[in-house]
Amino acid sequence: MMYSRDAQDRTPPAPRAETPPATRRPPAARSLGLRALARLDAAFNALYGWRFNPLYHSGALVVACFVVLLATGLYLLLFYRIGAPHASVAAIEAQWWGGRWIRGLHRYASDLAIVAAVVHGARMFLQRRTWGPRALAWVSGVLLLGVFLVCGWTGYVMVWDAHGHLLAVEGARILDALPVFSEPLGRAFTGEEPVPAAFFFMNLFAHIALPVGVALVLWVHVSRLARPQLLPPRPLLWGTVGLFAVAAVAWPPALGPEADLLRLPAPAEADWVYGFWLPAARAVPAGWVWAAGGAAVAAVLFVPALTKPRKAKAPPPSWVNPRHCTGCEQCFEDCPYEAISMVERDDGREGLVGLVDPARCVSCGVCAGSCAPMGVGPPGRTGRDQLAGVKAFLAEAAPGPREVVVVGCLHGATGAVAAGSNGSRATAGARVLRVGCVGNLHTSVLEYLVRAGAGGVLVAACPPRDCRSREGVKWFHERLDNGREAELQERVDRSRIEVVYAAAGEGRVLRRGVERCRSRALAMEEAAAERDFDVGADCDLDETAP
Amino acid sequence: MIARRAAAVFVAVAATAAVAWLSRLPSDFGGGAGATIRLSWRAAGVPVEDCRTRTEEELAALPVHMRSPQECTRALAPFELAVALGGQPVVRDTVFPKGARGDRPVYVFRDLPAAAGRVPLSITFEALAGEGAQPGDAPTRYAWDGVVEVAAGHVALVTLDGEGKLVVRTPGVR
Repeated sequence: MMYSRDAQDRTPPAPRAETPPATRRPPAARSLGLRALARLDAAFNALYGWRFNPLYHSGALVVACFVVLLATGLYLLLFYRIGAPHASVAAIEAQWWGGRWIRGLHRYASDLAIVAAVVHGARMFLQRRTWGPRALAWVSGVLLLGVFLVCGWTGYVMVWDAHGHLLAVEGARILDALPVFSEPLGRAFTGEEPVPAAFFFMNLFAHIALPVGVALVLWVHVSRLARPQLLPPRPLLWGTVGLFAVAAVAWPPALGPEADLLRLPAPAEADWVYGFWLPAARAVPAGWVWAAGGAAVAAVLFVPALTKPRKAKAPPPSWVNPRHCTGCEQCFEDCPYEAISMVERDDGREGLVGLVDPARCVSCGVCAGSCAPMGVGPPGRTGRDQLAGVKAFLAEAAPGPREVVVVGCLHGATGAVAAGSNGSRATAGARVLRVGCVGNLHTSVLEYLVRAGAGGVLVAACPPRDCRSREGVKWFHERLDNGREAELQERVDRSRIEVVYAAAGEGRVLRRGVERCRSRALAMEEAAAERDFDVGADCDLDETAP
Repeated sequence: MIARRAAAVFVAVAATAAVAWLSRLPSDFGGGAGATIRLSWRAAGVPVEDCRTRTEEELAALPVHMRSPQECTRALAPFELAVALGGQPVVRDTVFPKGARGDRPVYVFRDLPAAAGRVPLSITFEALAGEGAQPGDAPTRYAWDGVVEVAAGHVALVTLDGEGKLVVRTPGVR
């Protein structure tokens, strides 16, 4: 670990007065985008369930497409000839039993990779997961998208049909605007002579070498994540591959007429996922294309800087209080961003102590939930801070035995309640205690609520695959049900605690959860009343009667 | 439950079809009923040398083996390209030699949209060689004047032949 202990201040940082980032209102456009995303998520959750919601797995779908592209590409490579590019692709097309649909799957997978990458990027942007320690993932993600687009460009040129001809000529025109070529590249496509095989060799080389670059950049992309999930769940993976394979069989992409450099490009099928820029680029000088493209790329690369909150408003990184740290390593195990390391103590006590690298900490607060002695967490959100918060919450009004308290994540359905969009209808009148993330939640908070007399405690979490803290919900479950360190103590009546997954647009799911929890609390209350029934006193029986 | 499953299948199929449709959208990026006159050639260029005599002090400051009395910079002269299509001037441009020092050949490569059919075409490509020009055997002026017949959707290629003369490489040239 590069980060040294000396860099960490020994005194606990003061919590910042303002609300955590999740509660700040985003700009209007992004707020609109977030609402649209929440509705889409909710609709897909209703159709496929949160486990297989493809929007939650958009990043993993890109990797799945990459694997499909490698497998199908290897097959196509066996038959491709640089001396006769179009004829060899036509021969592949003639293999109705294999080549045609494999080529179709190769093409559709490349398109899906771009679509999924754009969806993934849009999610990250709208959810503000772009700045600070996540900037590396953002920038490498943009780079990945660029490499994919260039790789696709070389793939279409390989085919050397009308669409490939157009992409080659247009690409050469744009590259020729750079003052680096002593002879214009475009002169290779004048039609005076056949395009040399060396060109197709270079193109093929680039098409094979670029995926190696994709793999390297992908490694960088996930390098700051602990336990990255690279592939979607199997049903989603095979369902997606199967659907696109069926599409490739039933509706294979056509092979256009061979490129003829002394003819204008014939009308043909064009891939607008990779050629979206063509109509605009053809209409303007190459210099403008560079200017517009450069501006667009710069704007996207600057997103981390543009979305970064001002220092005073940025959520502070976690901090380990060495006095409370027992060196159990649970925060080190649970941190989804590998931001915590264990180092030798230097305070005279034996053993290890946790050390947070602020450069990697995204302030998700998962460590606060994982620390039994409440010795770590972002200032203002440690277990101790949460207990202080729940005490204040209970001081306002103690919950009755028929009452439900909702402990909800700000990013999920309870966040919408807090923002007032769902009003109190979504929680059916239940009181809400908000937390930054359910993964942040210390189980002592639940114990406190139950012991304070709440009839039911409903934990409203985001679906695990949409957790802003990546693994927050997963670890919370482990602590609640499977005895993971910082577990819910056995003395707590577990039957009074329920968990519901309700994403931001799923107010109805939350309401149903509250109603279910309340019914259960009522049933338990009635059962308890029956148990407490004193037959002698309540029925006024005369025990002296014969 | 069945309705929800049917909806899930429908959405999945529709999303797949949408991606496939984007992948194979019928498109026409060609010139429609038009044609193209493509100018593409490489000219050796006209060397231009700018020399001055070094002073005694400058010579003395140089190593012995570098004491050439003349200091020269060599480059190629730019050319002026003028094209008229159908009697209308469409290009009048200065084409500079390639290379950081301007000492690489001069390349012309551009596509001019034209109406299909018989097109009167006039091209002049002339070196802007001023003082210091040393044309030697290199031609300083290229020209072509005539009528090009080019079919719709086709390209007429104007280039240099082996003798260094502009020619049109499309059937139908008169």
